[in-house]
This record gives sequence, C-alpha cells and structure tokens, in this order.
Amino acid sequence: MQRVVVVGSGDGGTFTANLLASELHDEIQGGLASVQLVGEHLKHPFQPGNLDIAFKGADPEKYVKDETKLLRKGVEFIQDPAVKIDYATKSVTTRSGRNLSYDFLVIATGAVADPSKVPGLAEGSMNFHTGGKNSQKIWEALQKFEGGTVVVAIAGTPHKCPPSPNEAAFMLDEFFSKRGIRDKVQIKFLTPYPRPYPAEKISHVVEPMFKEKGIDVTTFFNVDSVDPAAKKIFSLEGETFDYDLLIAIPPHHGADVIIDSGIGDQDGYVPTDKGTMKVVGQEGVYCIGDATTIPVSKSGVVAHLQSVVVAHNIVSEMENSKDLLEYNGRINCPMEVGHHRAIFVSATYTSPPVDQTPSLVKYYMKRSFAMIYWRALNGSLERVFDVFFGKTRFPAKPPEPVKQIITVKVPEGGKTGA
Amino acid sequence: MSAVQQHKVIDSRGSFCPGPITDLFKAYRSSQLGDVIELLATDPAAKADVTAWAQKSGNELMGITDEQGYTRITVRITKKRG
Repeated sequence: MQRVVVVGSGDGGTFTANLLASELHDEIQGGLASVQLVGEHLKHPFQPGNLDIAFKGADPEKYVKDETKLLRKGVEFIQDPAVKIDYATKSVTTRSGRNLSYDFLVIATGAVADPSKVPGLAEGSMNFHTGGKNSQKIWEALQKFEGGTVVVAIAGTPHKCPPSPNEAAFMLDEFFSKRGIRDKVQIKFLTPYPRPYPAEKISHVVEPMFKEKGIDVTTFFNVDSVDPAAKKIFSLEGETFDYDLLIAIPPHHGADVIIDSGIGDQDGYVPTDKGTMKVVGQEGVYCIGDATTIPVSKSGVVAHLQSVVVAHNIVSEMENSKDLLEYNGRINCPMEVGHHRAIFVSATYTSPPVDQTPSLVKYYMKRSFAMIYWRALNGSLERVFDVFFGKTRFPAKPPEPVKQIITVKVPEGGKTGA
Repeated sequence: MSAVQQHKVIDSRGSFCPGPITDLFKAYRSSQLGDVIELLATDPAAKADVTAWAQKSGNELMGITDEQGYTRITVRITKKRG
C-alpha cells in the first residue's frame, strides 16, 4: 500500500489530490494506494474573487463551493486540520489527534495574510487578502465614501497575487469614476518596490496608466506602522501620509502547522527545490504553491502548474520510473487595469515578463477563469491548459547529460598529464 | 544607535527582481542604526535599485563591488524610523 497524504485543501492541495486519484484510480480501487487530503475548511473559496467582492460588490457566496463536491472519487477528505508534520516518523497529526502515516507527503498549506504583524494595521486598515467577508467590508466602506484620500499600501512582501495591489488601485479609479466623484478622491499607491510594479516591463505598462488616471505613486515605502486614530501611515524610511480610507496588503507568513512543526524558514515557508518541488533534504516529501520558499509569484496558476509536476513525479516514483518533470518557474498572473482591459504577467525562471498592451480579450480571459476554476480543479481542463501554455508549460524534463567522447592519448610508458 | 552594531551578509545570488531588493528590505526591517548590510546579487537590476533606495531613504551606500560572477553592495543603516 502506497499512502499519499496531501496537507492543505486550497487550490494546489485539492488539484494535486484529484490528479493523484485520477492517475492512481486502479491502485486505489485495488487497495494498493490511498490519497488523503487534510484540510480545515469545508468551504473552498476562489480567492481572486475577493477583488470583485471588494471593488465591484460581487456576492461572496458566488466564489465558494463545498470542498467535497470538488474532489474526485478516490480522494479521502479529512476535515481536520494538520497541526504537526513529522518527517522522522513520516506522519501527520491532526487537531483531533488523528495520526496519518505517509509514504509520500505533499505540503500545500499556503500563506497566511496577517495584519497583526504591523502595529496599527489591523485596526487602521481594510484588506481583500483575508477572505470574502473582509473584502465585502471594503465594498461597504466605498459606498459611504464621499471624498478624500484612499491609500493602497503594500505592507509586506512576498504576498499572494502580486498584481492585486495594482488592480485594487485601477478598480478604485473605475469605481469612483462610475460614481461620478473621482475628482473628489485622491488615490495614493504606496509600494516598497522601486517602481509601481516590481517587474520593469510590466511597470512600463502600469506607470503611464497610473499617471493618466491620477493615481499617485510613492516608491520605496516599507510600511512601519499605522496610527488608526490619527489616520496616518508611516514608513521605515521616515515618510508619513494621511489617509481617509486605507486598503492594505498585509504581511504574509507560512501556515501555523509549518511553524509549529519547525520545518519552515524564519517566515514559515518550506525550503523547496525550485525544479523538482521536493522539500530540501527530504525524500518523498514535496511542497507546492504559496507554502514554498521558491521566488515566484504566490498565485493559483503557479500552484496548479506545480501540482502537475508533483503528481506526475509521485506516480513515477511509485513505479520506479525515471520519467520526471521539472517546474520551470512559469507564472501567468492576470492584472485587470480597469474599464474592461487586462494584461497577463507571464514569465519563467529564465524569461522575464515582456512589454504588452492591455486588451479586452485578456480581460475576458481573466473573467472567464472565475467560471472554469472549479472544473480546472478536477483536472478536466488540462488539455486546454496544454494549448494555452504551449511549450512553456513544462519544459522540461531534466536535460539529458551531454555525452562527450574524450580521446586521451596515453604516452608511452605511462601516465596521462593533468 | 545600538550598542552592538551588526554586519549582515544577505545572499540573493540567483534571485531576480524583486528578490534582492526584497531581501535587503527584510534585513533593513530587523536592523538598527549603524548596522551594515552586504547584499550579494547576480541580478543586474540590484545595483540601480539599491542605489535609488539609499538615495531616497537617506541610508548610506558604502560601496558596490563587482566580484566574480556577482555584485557586492554594501549599505550602512543611517536612517530608520523607530
């Protein structure tokens, strides 16, 4: 019996469990393999929907489905969060005390947005990174807002969905324009990065649009603290701005189970090989998505692409096959820029993002993803993604070693020279 | 000024924008006035980014040295709130 335990039932965990259940269908039916998915919540959210809830007034219920309805037959869902991962005994302990042994472990515990990490931030700001209900509070505040300064601030890096702060600024501009009070609202964007978007080519698109829309940018602003009573935000560098409404991207850290198990770095992320997705120093243990230390976007698309690598490689390992895939750093983050236009931030480890023009087609592609997400989770759209990503999807099996023929001339009587 | 000044070496080699500058900010956050941070980076954008940050924030750029295959950027923390 080969036992796979997947910890975390977000995008990456759910998709990996489904892929494994599909690949191991016969083995599971025959009692030769098992796939257990360990998670806390019965409700599974489509997290990018938070932007629509916050800035377009969408109903949070529209972006939530029952986890059990998203799983393929063969996945055993254990709604009992993991509290301890022990590599030495190859086991996972759940909150209720259940002990799950594994032969293969997939860590998909995500990242946690935590406003409490910055003094005053939790009391003084609103955010769309901590769930649909908190996103809805932004929408409610916007309805009552009659004028003043709205600040969008990145209060910690890395954070989920890198384009989302820029999207928030663009969507605020659109919202206030439609309400007819744009001239009464100052939108201010505070970022720790050197430019409005960290990748230079994408900033080439964003910067002139911010300028055109009157969105004021302050770079190199590392949030130090917030004074909720005085409605001021302070940077480590010594700058201060007043605000009437503060929408902040909170600092993130790894999940409690990673921190409590002592298997993360100082921020609670799991050291992971950026190609194989194996946890550094561990055999049979993989990590995907927001939970890793890999320097790529913390986003659903990344988790999705890594899931395919990991599910494939686990099955190969079970079969003692050398047919292994490697993740190539592919990201594909849509960024809505307001007024029915969007761009895609696409790159790999070796190919940075390129210049592009916002388009209606990309906007509708982004919008359509909210509908296809649920089907994508069970693996039934993989052929579509094969076409979309093309050759940039998986490059890459590890390259074959180059065979070199070296002729060494041995001098008479002896040894070769160095 | 802290009683004991620290010298931190941050290895961001192999990481691309915004990796090195993000690593520097993480070190800056936990630094005290007088501390020295050495950032090792292979990303060519790191030089310009750190220079611009030091200039704007009022921290001291002590030096930029091209080493074999990477750049060593040294900053002294002379401006930080709190």
